[in-house]
Amino acid sequence: MTARSNQLEDGRKTAGLSHGELWMRYFELGGMSTPLQLEAILYGALVATASDHDLIAHALNERFVELGGNHPIPYAADTDEP
Amino acid sequence: MNPEGFRAVTEFVAASALVVVRGELDLATAPALDDALTDVIDRGARALVLNVADLAFMDASGLRVLIAALNRVGPDGGTLSLRAVSKPVLRLLELTGFTHLAEVLQDEGHDHLGREQTGEALVAAAVGVARSAGSAQRRTVTAIPANNDVVDGALRLVVTLAQVTIGGADGVSVSLRRQGQLSTVAASDQTITDMDTGQYATGQGPCVSAAVEGRWFHVESLDDEKRWPDFIPRARSLGINSILSTPLTASGTPIGALNIYSRTSGAFAPADQQLATIFAAEASKILTDAGVDVTPDELAEQIQHALETRQHIAQAQGLIMSRDGVTPYEAYTTLRRVSANSGVSLADVARDLVSSVAATPQPAPMDDRP
Repeated sequence: MTARSNQLEDGRKTAGLSHGELWMRYFELGGMSTPLQLEAILYGALVATASDHDLIAHALNERFVELGGNHPIPYAADTDEP
Repeated sequence: MNPEGFRAVTEFVAASALVVVRGELDLATAPALDDALTDVIDRGARALVLNVADLAFMDASGLRVLIAALNRVGPDGGTLSLRAVSKPVLRLLELTGFTHLAEVLQDEGHDHLGREQTGEALVAAAVGVARSAGSAQRRTVTAIPANNDVVDGALRLVVTLAQVTIGGADGVSVSLRRQGQLSTVAASDQTITDMDTGQYATGQGPCVSAAVEGRWFHVESLDDEKRWPDFIPRARSLGINSILSTPLTASGTPIGALNIYSRTSGAFAPADQQLATIFAAEASKILTDAGVDVTPDELAEQIQHALETRQHIAQAQGLIMSRDGVTPYEAYTTLRRVSANSGVSLADVARDLVSSVAATPQPAPMDDRP
């Protein structure tokens, strides 16, 4: 697992979303990866593009907002990590 | 992705039709399958068999076509069956709950293209399905059994536990969507049942919102509440002052709510909210284990909603790209930052942007960059 995929998978668990639920949210936001690809990204088997990473991060962050939280998952566009 | 590579070939016998689907089923090709299925349904087919052995990919737009077909043949006792489903496609069908709505088989039946299933065999199968439609309930379209005593009993237990455990609770209920309608499955007393009924009747209230949107709603005090204007007077007349509604889900899809009512305003502390979440999670587990499924209508609605949101976001992205002369990624980042800074969901930011531009002949300059 990469540090980034770790953050996403940990975020998914904390947010209490199944892989399927997260995919539906990601899909709604315009995601183009299949459910299987999304799972592979979360497990670190596939490296997400910056835009894919941000979509997943945002899907999780909107869930955290629903739960009364903030935006704990960082976006690729806002970090220096390549 | 590749509209040229997509084909839907139909063989039609009496009330059954075999459709062999090849290529990639996505936004570009879904209309072709929709046309093919509409055609056979219009010609009287009620048992649809789709051989998808050579279907390389399917996304939600393909799923929407299948659900639409299922909805059209379902009321007449018809069936939809998918054969030779590949693993990736199966995964999508499982994730979206479609496997509970239609017969989905990984094996191919007979030969690779399923041709031997046509003719007499298929007619016989269709007759068999029609005969058993009344009793066997092959499809679970009606979702929750109308009176599932075990499920209801378990939910009543959850209601009782919530009532005695949550400090501020004067009454607790569980609402579930059954055959497209919300109804109260368990309630601690008549006032609470009336509170629920008032929400179903007006289509408003925290219980309805939680069941539809799948997130919790907390009314700290009805004195200050501005949402649900039709429902609030009814609630007040029943002496209720604060409400906490937590969504219930089955296999991840919202199908109801756990409602906690109090006569006192501000009755629910954060600890009570946490308890409500725990009880709702337990009730959701019961519903999921009982195989309670979403109906095709609800599933179709969910996917329809997702597709509409995607479209709004893509439109908003396009507007920002032409306005600011930026790449798609940068445009998306702008949208996302507006959403994060304003606390408005990205879907709503996109929707507002698209409708504001549609409303003005000359797009007004927008100050939405952080």
